Amino acid sequence: MKLFRLTTLLTIFCLAALILGPAHAARAAESSQLETILKRGTVKVGFDTFKPWAMKDKKGDYIGFEIDVAKKLAEDMGVKVEFVPTKWSGIIPALLTGKFDIIIGGMSVTPKRNLKVNFSLPYEFSGMSIVASKSMAGERSTLEDFNTPGTKIAVRLGTTAAEAAKNFLPKAEKLYFDEESQTIQELLNNRVHAVVASNPLPFNLANEYADQLYLPLKEDFTKEPISFAVRKGDLDYLNWLNNWVRVNMSKGWLQNRYHYWFFTNEWENQIQ
Amino acid sequence: MASRPTSRIPKITPLDAVILTALAGVIGYVLFKAATGLNYHWKWEVIPQFILRYDEGTGNWRAGLLTEGLITTLRLSVWATGMAIIIGTVVGLFRVSPSLFKRQVATTYVGLIRNTPPLVLIFIFYFFIGDQIMTALDVDGFVRSLSEETKSFLAVFFGPMNRFPQFLSALITLTLFEGAYIAEIVRAGIESIEAGQWEASTALGMRRGQSMRYVILPQAMQRMLPALAGQFISIIKDSAIVSVISIEELTFQAQQIMTTTYRSFEVWTTVLVMYFILTFFCSLLVRKLELALQRN
Repeated sequence: MKLFRLTTLLTIFCLAALILGPAHAARAAESSQLETILKRGTVKVGFDTFKPWAMKDKKGDYIGFEIDVAKKLAEDMGVKVEFVPTKWSGIIPALLTGKFDIIIGGMSVTPKRNLKVNFSLPYEFSGMSIVASKSMAGERSTLEDFNTPGTKIAVRLGTTAAEAAKNFLPKAEKLYFDEESQTIQELLNNRVHAVVASNPLPFNLANEYADQLYLPLKEDFTKEPISFAVRKGDLDYLNWLNNWVRVNMSKGWLQNRYHYWFFTNEWENQIQ
Repeated sequence: MASRPTSRIPKITPLDAVILTALAGVIGYVLFKAATGLNYHWKWEVIPQFILRYDEGTGNWRAGLLTEGLITTLRLSVWATGMAIIIGTVVGLFRVSPSLFKRQVATTYVGLIRNTPPLVLIFIFYFFIGDQIMTALDVDGFVRSLSEETKSFLAVFFGPMNRFPQFLSALITLTLFEGAYIAEIVRAGIESIEAGQWEASTALGMRRGQSMRYVILPQAMQRMLPALAGQFISIIKDSAIVSVISIEELTFQAQQIMTTTYRSFEVWTTVLVMYFILTFFCSLLVRKLELALQRN
């Protein structure tokens, strides 16, 4: 029995040594994440599916604005790209624990997020909008109309839409869901007055369910910078990303892709 | 085989008929309300392509997204079952060991796992513990060093190899979780064997280990099998939890498709049917197993 206990102790000790040893060694010899990616020959990209930022097509491949951006980024780096689909609510912890090298997933810059991760220059700007139920919300046409104690608003958890709803509609009652499709269902079932989300979703919904839903606001009520998120403490990597954004903005490549995914429907037949 | 009454022609009394009609009416009404009262545009025609799709590139039929998810679910369940049975048996034997130390180790493990929600366990393991282990063992580097042939061969068993570290994390968590339940099944099985069996084997001059191996375990195994098979069905259902760490199993694939197409009800219904077919098929196998093992 003594022997058994000793072996157990030894095993635990060896495991601990194994785990702690290389980790420290790696930290000492660590250079920029950029070097790591180049050495590996693959850049791992974290994202979550949001239409039309990133979606699965019929074949099971990912398509969308963010996917195009990620592919171009990898091409300019001279490496392959590997997509790591991750739930939005856990995407920052996943980045911090090294599940991937970068978040390219339509992530808006917020000071709170910025405390945990570094953001590049913004490579696109997205706007928040409201889509409301005709029978529930009726004649409301301003933000103020929705900012009343009796109003129910559905938003997706952990998104800037949730933040915007908190800030712009403090008096309304907010219901949080894990998936965008759930918020839409709540709205269609008349359990909430409106859904707050980034365009083009509200716009597309109002088109598809024209008899039930409408757009109360003519304009987006926010304009949010969208940036790449990377782990802190890596200047070289961030510098490369910032300049990548600058270059592709000046060429008009980013604007071109944005227009294709957000203002045309040419890609719809690839997904349904 | 135990003698069972031969099948009689079932008689349906008027009361039965009334109850059945009422039930059918209620179910029909609920379904009707669900279909019409939800303000939802049903579009069932989007579903078939996610089960089976025609690949224009190669010109043959391929598994759709949901079918791929189902295959991943199966992979996860089969591996987790195999590993959980090993862990569960060892821990179960520890639970009935004469040594206090072993008993305490096993009790701690079972107590910890059975009293924490699997979702929390998965998160903690994936983000904190799993990460350390994966880094220490350099799983990522190992996967990258494999040749393409090896990768495609291993993909049959573990799914796409570039997602192997995540798969392993999910597998270990699921294994640890289910192992605790299997340990209890094993313990109960061993404790259910009559004391007379122990006494008889001791009387024959066997030591404890020998009695366990030759007399007790073979009988206990037979009693455990139905419960173990039931646990396998549980594992299939519990595997849906790992969708939170983005393993591309059935539930995760369903959520991705819903985000893309906004066809939540059609997709959820399909997924429900797929899980049901899978587990129902397992239940039938279990029933067969029980009948085969019945001794008089």
